[in-house]
Amino acid sequence: MLPLFFLALAQAVTPELRQHVEAGLRAKAAGDLDGAAREFQRVAELAPELAAAHVNLGSVYFQQKDYARATGPLRRALQLNADLPGAQQMLGTALLAQGAAVEAIPHLERAQAADLLGIALLEAGRTRDAVDKLEAALLQRPEDPDLTYYLSHAHGRLSKDLFERLRAQPDGATRVQQMLGEAAAGAGQREQAEKHFRAALAARADLRGVHLAIGQLYLAGGDYARAEPEFRAEARMAPMSAMAAYKLGLTLMNLGKAAEAITELQRAEQLQPGMPETHLALGKALAATGDLSGAEGALQKVVQAEPASALAEAAHLQLSQIYRKLGRTADADREIRALQELRRGRR
Amino acid sequence: MIRALSNSRSGCSSSLPLRYLLWLCAAVVTAQSLSLFRSVTLPFVHRHSPTTQKYLIETMGGGVALLDYDGDGRLDIFLVNGGKLDDPVRLPAYFRRAEAAYANRLYRQQPDGTFVDVTARAGLWGGPNIYGMGVAAGDVDNDGDADLYVTGYGGTVLYRNNGNGTFTATTEAAVEGWSVSAAFFDYDNDGRLDLFVARYLDWDLARNILCGTPFHAYCRPDKFNGVANVLFHNEGGGRFRDVSRESGVGGVIGKGMGVAVSDYDGDGFAEVFVANDGMEQYLFHNERNGRFVERALEAGVALSDDARSYAGMGAAFGDYDNDGRPDLVVTNLALEKFALYRNEGEGRFSYTSLSSGLAGLTSRHSGWGVGLHDFDNDGSKDIFAAQSHVLDNVERIHSGLRYLEPPALYRGVAGKFAPVDLGLPAVAGRGAAFGDINNDGKMDAVVSVLGGAPMVLLNRSARPGVTLRLVGRRANRDGVGAIVRAGAQTVYATGAGSYLSAGDIRVHLSGAPRTVEITWPGGRRQTEQLAPGPIVTVEEKE
Repeated sequence: MLPLFFLALAQAVTPELRQHVEAGLRAKAAGDLDGAAREFQRVAELAPELAAAHVNLGSVYFQQKDYARATGPLRRALQLNADLPGAQQMLGTALLAQGAAVEAIPHLERAQAADLLGIALLEAGRTRDAVDKLEAALLQRPEDPDLTYYLSHAHGRLSKDLFERLRAQPDGATRVQQMLGEAAAGAGQREQAEKHFRAALAARADLRGVHLAIGQLYLAGGDYARAEPEFRAEARMAPMSAMAAYKLGLTLMNLGKAAEAITELQRAEQLQPGMPETHLALGKALAATGDLSGAEGALQKVVQAEPASALAEAAHLQLSQIYRKLGRTADADREIRALQELRRGRR
Repeated sequence: MIRALSNSRSGCSSSLPLRYLLWLCAAVVTAQSLSLFRSVTLPFVHRHSPTTQKYLIETMGGGVALLDYDGDGRLDIFLVNGGKLDDPVRLPAYFRRAEAAYANRLYRQQPDGTFVDVTARAGLWGGPNIYGMGVAAGDVDNDGDADLYVTGYGGTVLYRNNGNGTFTATTEAAVEGWSVSAAFFDYDNDGRLDLFVARYLDWDLARNILCGTPFHAYCRPDKFNGVANVLFHNEGGGRFRDVSRESGVGGVIGKGMGVAVSDYDGDGFAEVFVANDGMEQYLFHNERNGRFVERALEAGVALSDDARSYAGMGAAFGDYDNDGRPDLVVTNLALEKFALYRNEGEGRFSYTSLSSGLAGLTSRHSGWGVGLHDFDNDGSKDIFAAQSHVLDNVERIHSGLRYLEPPALYRGVAGKFAPVDLGLPAVAGRGAAFGDINNDGKMDAVVSVLGGAPMVLLNRSARPGVTLRLVGRRANRDGVGAIVRAGAQTVYATGAGSYLSAGDIRVHLSGAPRTVEITWPGGRRQTEQLAPGPIVTVEEKE
């Protein structure tokens, strides 16, 4: 598009100018970018007020990834004609590549390049604006790893900014401890995480989510006896929390308290119906107490909800055992085949 | 079960001022173990030769066997050593098994309960150039004395007992590659002990890889292919024939570790369970025609209740709920929970780790050798496990886990399990063999320790028990595979099970049962009145 525009203008100029223009275009088409740059440089000297001359020179340097040299001609081109197609984006990109994010932003805004603009805003410290732009760009290209990286980076920085703000607040210490605990838990530093969580609870005993987080540390570490009181505390504090009820039920199951687990898992199901994890745990607990019919129903819901998941594998195994216990051999065999198929697929 | 120490034994002295006396006594009693077991030391140190290369074999050995090799009625102890590994190994590897530090050892029990090293005298010194792993013990020629089969990386060896206190090494039943646990059992009830050998991975020193960043750790088994197990049929006349292919055992690729044997479906024919590492477990069902079919999944013992595979290590059958059927326990790594499968009858098991309470007790522990026996003679079987993580640097990976762990006893009470503090030190437990070492009717244990001295643990339970020696006539000489019932107790006669190890082939019963019913291999039943005393012999009636 750019060369055509250039040629249209070139028809009104001298034969010498026309000769350099055509030589430049031929060199560019042949991949001889150094030759093209020489020709377009000559054109710019012969016609310094011709915006197209500068933009073509700039585009050649841009193509060579020589962003420093591209910047001058592109800037000059836009001074002469601010509406030159592609020039805003090239200049914005060239500036961004050189670390001049603030300067790049207006050009990228005019070019409406949400992805590059998001990155520029992030680098310029305008994190919240960056998140908006990057999320918009990611909607268009959801599989783009670079965009995903930058968005993740932006969220991380936003979180850090908020954390710093929290730390600066006179009453923020408790939440700071909670956040530090969450960060340590995420990094696998279990002892450190618990220390922060306990500090948060010492300051505010009614802080929701903290007992849940401590319970989760114990549950993941296989310490069910210590996990139970934490989940119970969370469930007392947040009686409408399906997660607290579910985790408590799961812990009770691991402690061999199937009947108590059923109560909590049924409560979790009422609070947040349709969760396959809850159905699986409930199915196992019901089977353990001999309620095979109830267990069958719960486990079938798992298979219906997530037929190809690891949860479904567990449900098929449980169902096969229930059917064998009931003497329904054909059904048991069918469930085993389904389990084998899923396991084969996963390999 | 717990017996307080007297002041004189704990070292308190009445010559001290009272305030010091109280403090000192309290300290000593606290420091000493008020345990079910009394420890006996053996001058053996297992050598595994840890290297920076993290060769997998370093972390897997070694086994222990309890056998009465000289027929004096007292159990002797055979310990399998590892071998020397250079860092890195220069191939072909030379494990220096004839050097004192790396030799297997046989300790003969004296009448006073002490042990004497008779390795050289018994002809067991040195042996082939294999890095030692496990051991199986059994009377393969029915001549009345126990023979030994030693597994390892690089080969195996069958030591035939000459009946005069010495053994002769043979190349019978030789297995290539890396063999781990082995079990003698009579799968076709022909009166001769056959041999099952579990093999671990298709791995060798030349193909070792370094795993883990930023520091190295032993590789997970999924980095290597599995291999098939091996089954030998005892042909008589001292010959074994490899029947892996025709029996179907050789057609199943696994990553075998522990082997347990029992007749789980009560049809009179023995089955084999193989604990596999990092994949589904295997249960080889005896089809009663010389063939085995792998049926773990349909029997319900292949996976956890979440349909997840786990790192199966040791395995043992035993009737923990006294319903007359053999249940199954499988040890594994921390955060996996030891797997307990209750035998529901009709060839079906259910996963009862959670409902029995075992999950909560074992979720942070890693188990290897394991036994399901009644250690406190209260009529319910308990679970004893040698413990330790497989990774010697696991603390760097997971701060909540520990490499060294004390052996554990989980006491069975009405189908549930409760912890017992044995007061034992944390070690790298691996193999474990169980038997009545001092013939007092109580189940003792020997734990082999990777890179350390074994723990010989003598049971001092206050309750009585009986150790029953079976003598087969039509059945194999030691009655291996017989089922003994006394009241609610049911015990399958076998020395197989656990990990890398061979236990007492005699049958242990708790209490003082007057009558036992014995079902010999092949189904012949015999009822016997037992003479009083902790050791009783019952011969099969012709």
